[in-house]
Amino acid sequence: MAEAEEWAGRLGIGNYHDRAKQLLSTENQKDRIRELLELSTIYGLRLFERTGLDNEGVGGEQQRVEMYEHVIRGVEGMRVLGHVQSFDYKYFNKAVAESKIHRKHPIYLQEFLDVKENAKGPIKVPITGPYTLVDWSFGGYYTGQRTGSSLKMQKQEAKREFLLDFVEQVIRPEIRDLVDAGASWIQIDEPAITTHPEPADMELFVEGWNETVRGFTCKFSDHTCYPSEIGYKVLAEYAPKLDKCSQLALEFANRDGTSLGVDAKHREGYRDLEYFIENGFEGEFGVGVVHVHDFSGQVPSDAGRATERNIIESPELVRDRLLHATKIVGDPGKIWANPDCGLRTRTWDVTYAKLESIVKGAELAREASQ
Amino acid sequence: MKMPASAELGGIYPRSEQLIELTRSYDRGKTERASVEKQIEQDTIELVELQDESGFENFTDGAFSWQDQLRPIVESLDGVTTGTRYSRWFDTNTFYKKPTVSGKIGLAPFNLKKFIHADLLPKSKPWKASLVGPYTFSELAENLHYKTQSELVSDLAHAEHEIIRRLKADGVSQFQISEPCLVYRPYREQTLSNAELEIALAAIRRTVDGIDARFTIQTFFGDATTILPHLLKLPVDGIGFDLFETDHTRSKIETKKTLALGIVDSRESNVEDPKWIAETATRVSKHIFSDNIVLVPNSDLKFVPRKVADAKSRALAEATRLVEERK
Repeated sequence: MAEAEEWAGRLGIGNYHDRAKQLLSTENQKDRIRELLELSTIYGLRLFERTGLDNEGVGGEQQRVEMYEHVIRGVEGMRVLGHVQSFDYKYFNKAVAESKIHRKHPIYLQEFLDVKENAKGPIKVPITGPYTLVDWSFGGYYTGQRTGSSLKMQKQEAKREFLLDFVEQVIRPEIRDLVDAGASWIQIDEPAITTHPEPADMELFVEGWNETVRGFTCKFSDHTCYPSEIGYKVLAEYAPKLDKCSQLALEFANRDGTSLGVDAKHREGYRDLEYFIENGFEGEFGVGVVHVHDFSGQVPSDAGRATERNIIESPELVRDRLLHATKIVGDPGKIWANPDCGLRTRTWDVTYAKLESIVKGAELAREASQ
Repeated sequence: MKMPASAELGGIYPRSEQLIELTRSYDRGKTERASVEKQIEQDTIELVELQDESGFENFTDGAFSWQDQLRPIVESLDGVTTGTRYSRWFDTNTFYKKPTVSGKIGLAPFNLKKFIHADLLPKSKPWKASLVGPYTFSELAENLHYKTQSELVSDLAHAEHEIIRRLKADGVSQFQISEPCLVYRPYREQTLSNAELEIALAAIRRTVDGIDARFTIQTFFGDATTILPHLLKLPVDGIGFDLFETDHTRSKIETKKTLALGIVDSRESNVEDPKWIAETATRVSKHIFSDNIVLVPNSDLKFVPRKVADAKSRALAEATRLVEERK
């Protein structure tokens, strides 16, 4: 409570005490959770506003546990089956399709309505993409329906049917609800797409994407982070085929050096950006300019500072990363400054400092470009 | 033609939900290591019971303490460290600590417990251990020391040979050498060249050379059709492949080596019907025939939750009985 009160003061959440009292006096558990989620959303939005971001997203996805299970629990036909190891002592709860799937209830709508009511700036709604949801699940019902062709073909055919059902039965109804409620920019998160860089899977991803966005007029963008060792090379080949994909938000800071400089040698982490230009992607880029995970390494004093498990990038380091990206892309108007991915694993103090650096670094880059 | 069959497990078996909860709690500093070790023992005992009840001949301990398929090997070698970087394990949604080769590779002091829970395996049955082979290890590691991959793979083969010799001396008599990179090269743009293939095969020969144990070379995650004829020439007892990735209909092979048929899918939660397994094994034998078929999961079962893995293991055992009845 003390931390919540402190941040209320720092973020100018004026009615904190009234809301806290109201929350504590609410007896119905469901109502109390609802109030808590809305208040959390306000905190997230105010944090983004205070740091000066141009877009408030949905206030840091405060109403979601994480990107996979949050959706799966809203899908009829999916059942969470049990944990499988991700790495070491980290696991994820994996679900299976037990029957043909469809949406139980709106998944992101209430969050969007809360954001819309409380945000003071533009909103971008991130949603988990259908390819990733399918790739991270067991096909179950879909896999079991197949006979005839080779086992490999059966699995691929099942994956396609599962994917297209996710698109039609879950994701498109969700987008329809969001657009009807006023959403104008939807970011589709597809981290799984670089897991399978084979043509069959990449074509499947494109098919699923194009079917997802068909007929909608809002802005769409893709976010794909932490690619496999092949990097973004294969995604770059297929990105121009993604209908209505006006922006790619990508992770680069994670593999970049920490010295200042705008040349390719200092900015080696941004090399893959070139592939997208070579392959003719003409949209914007959300360029990851700050690291979002644990950091261990040296940081020159003019490029930021290392604190415990974090790096706080200086505005100058952010500036140089943006200027280098601009050199590759050729048009500063196509460059957005982003964190590599969500900052959920960082503390609010670290998050605040990183977002401030992004905003100041973008200002420095604009000045340098003029 | 008769087709004797048996079933076996290999690689890392999934941890129970109890063990998962304890390891998570341990990771957060809320549980003592001893509690985790106790549950690892319990998981091992339960898996041994499952294999016993199911009529398995060769027993594995499930490798419940292995953090990934490479870690015990890395921790037993000089010249290699695990580092802090995680890399994707092929095209799965799981990760391994990428080994960094920074010096000449040799065997460090050997600790059997890193590899196998020998005290919990039945004395009356043969024990099986699974190790990633030297070629695949080299492909998944970061090499900062050796000038050529050939030198790296050769030293890895020598080191793994020594590990296997010690495991054999401690009672392990069956070895699965996993070489998935022979059939699936994660994110490489070129196919396996003849020169690389020869490096890999020479390393396998070196790894098994002179050790009186049963060896199976197991491939998975990719189509083994073109590699099988090469593997059949190796001085090993068996070869194995992933039926969910391999188009067996393109092959016409008859061999006296044991065929480890990866016939239950460790990437899918549906439990295969024993009847389907038996029928499929029979169909495959029309293209790739062996006097001795071992029904196995297509890779480590760690990719499915424990209860699913248990059901798949029992299905394998039941399928062997059906195959025997068809003889």
